[in-house]
Amino acid sequence: MIFERYSRPVLSFIYDQIGDRDVAEELAQETFVRAYRSLKSLREETKLSTWLFGIAKNVARESIRSRVRDRHNVDLDDDQVLDLSDQSPVPVHQLLDKEFNQVVQRSLAKLDDDKRTVFTLKVLHQRSYEEIAEITGFSIPKLKTDLHRARAEMRQRVGRYIGTIGT
Amino acid sequence: MKCDDCVNLMETYLDGEATERESDQIQTHLATCSMCANKHEALTAENEMFARYDREVEVTPALWNGVAARIALEDRQAESKSKPGLGEWIAGWFAMPSFRFAAPTMALVLIALLIGLAYWRTKPQQPTHDNLIAHVDSPKPVTSSSPASTVKPSDQSITAPASAGTNTDSKEINSNVLAKYERPSRPNMVRSSDQSDVLPDTESNNGGTMEERDTASHLEQAQNLLLSFRNIKYSDTDEEVDVSYEKSESRRLLSENIMLRREAESSGKFPAKSVLGSLEPFLIDIANLPDKAKPTDVRQITDRVQRTEIVAELRSY
Repeated sequence: MIFERYSRPVLSFIYDQIGDRDVAEELAQETFVRAYRSLKSLREETKLSTWLFGIAKNVARESIRSRVRDRHNVDLDDDQVLDLSDQSPVPVHQLLDKEFNQVVQRSLAKLDDDKRTVFTLKVLHQRSYEEIAEITGFSIPKLKTDLHRARAEMRQRVGRYIGTIGT
Repeated sequence: MKCDDCVNLMETYLDGEATERESDQIQTHLATCSMCANKHEALTAENEMFARYDREVEVTPALWNGVAARIALEDRQAESKSKPGLGEWIAGWFAMPSFRFAAPTMALVLIALLIGLAYWRTKPQQPTHDNLIAHVDSPKPVTSSSPASTVKPSDQSITAPASAGTNTDSKEINSNVLAKYERPSRPNMVRSSDQSDVLPDTESNNGGTMEERDTASHLEQAQNLLLSFRNIKYSDTDEEVDVSYEKSESRRLLSENIMLRREAESSGKFPAKSVLGSLEPFLIDIANLPDKAKPTDVRQITDRVQRTEIVAELRSY
């Protein structure tokens, strides 16, 4: 069943874009309802997962546009964890997985929409460039540039955790 | 291969997107260049780190229930829309009004009415000395001696039929007017459009926002629906119970409920979100019943309504 197979990746992808569990759940619902409605438009050569991710991306984008994001961004700017001027090493005992997850989530929220979409699809969901191009409608050179820049930004914010998580 | 070329291709290589030829060249270069090998190692560690990212997101049964309910709802709506036959379609052509030319005229009339209304409303609020004398000399003591003489014209238009020349308090009268809209009997349940004509005037005095008024009106209708559902008369020997009215009402309220809950959530109104969230499963259950439901299904929902005291929760909001 489509829902059983794809509910988790779709929900996770939307959560990566939105950063709010409740809203992500509602948008995942919306994604599957839209998918059901437009099942006839699914072309044979399109992978089901690519098609679903495409719908999820649109749903998430619409929601992001309609939400007031300023408040969210102000919160993030005030976040001590993301203070880039602080380059001192983080003590190992404080590197809890939970903290790491939070930092990744907040760093994702600071990326611009295109970079975040490309980064999550490639790095967190292991989609190929071709699939990402189909999901987003971007050209491959654009998505490679966005991906490179997104990696650089994420490295700057989360790089301190390399080699310390899960050890 | 030069180091610059190797570094430029490194991410593509690690993404598994480099061509076979590029991959071979990179591997050869990495074997001989410690600087690029270190870079490769760092990027690999970075990918491993992101692979450990855990969103702690769970797929709950509510997710599927919501999808199923919405799909079922849309299917039924589509069915009911597609039902009209050829005769109705032809009749529709004759009945369909065209506002192409009438719209500007209507707009002008509306503007004139608004100006007239504004003039009518503002005029009595600036009483002249002559007017005051006229009131005192008036042969009708009702308006001059009672506190109602200070009531604004807009209020008088509401109170006039009920007061019949008495000194009835305007609040009391308003509550009489409201009472007409409360707890309607099952077949004549009043829809939101009817209530919205009355509620905003009374609520705006309490300083409620448009959203709060909508929520209050919505919850009142939901309360009426649940009471109506709870009071459906049937016996265990009945094979089926007609719930078509409650069902259609529930469908309408369900979409309204989802919208209001989202609004409440996005604006941080958690008490409203909570009560709307508690209400939603009941609306979904009723909306998903067939027109002729089994008594056991009806009883199941009725029991839940009783057990969870949802009506009391709505009433207390």
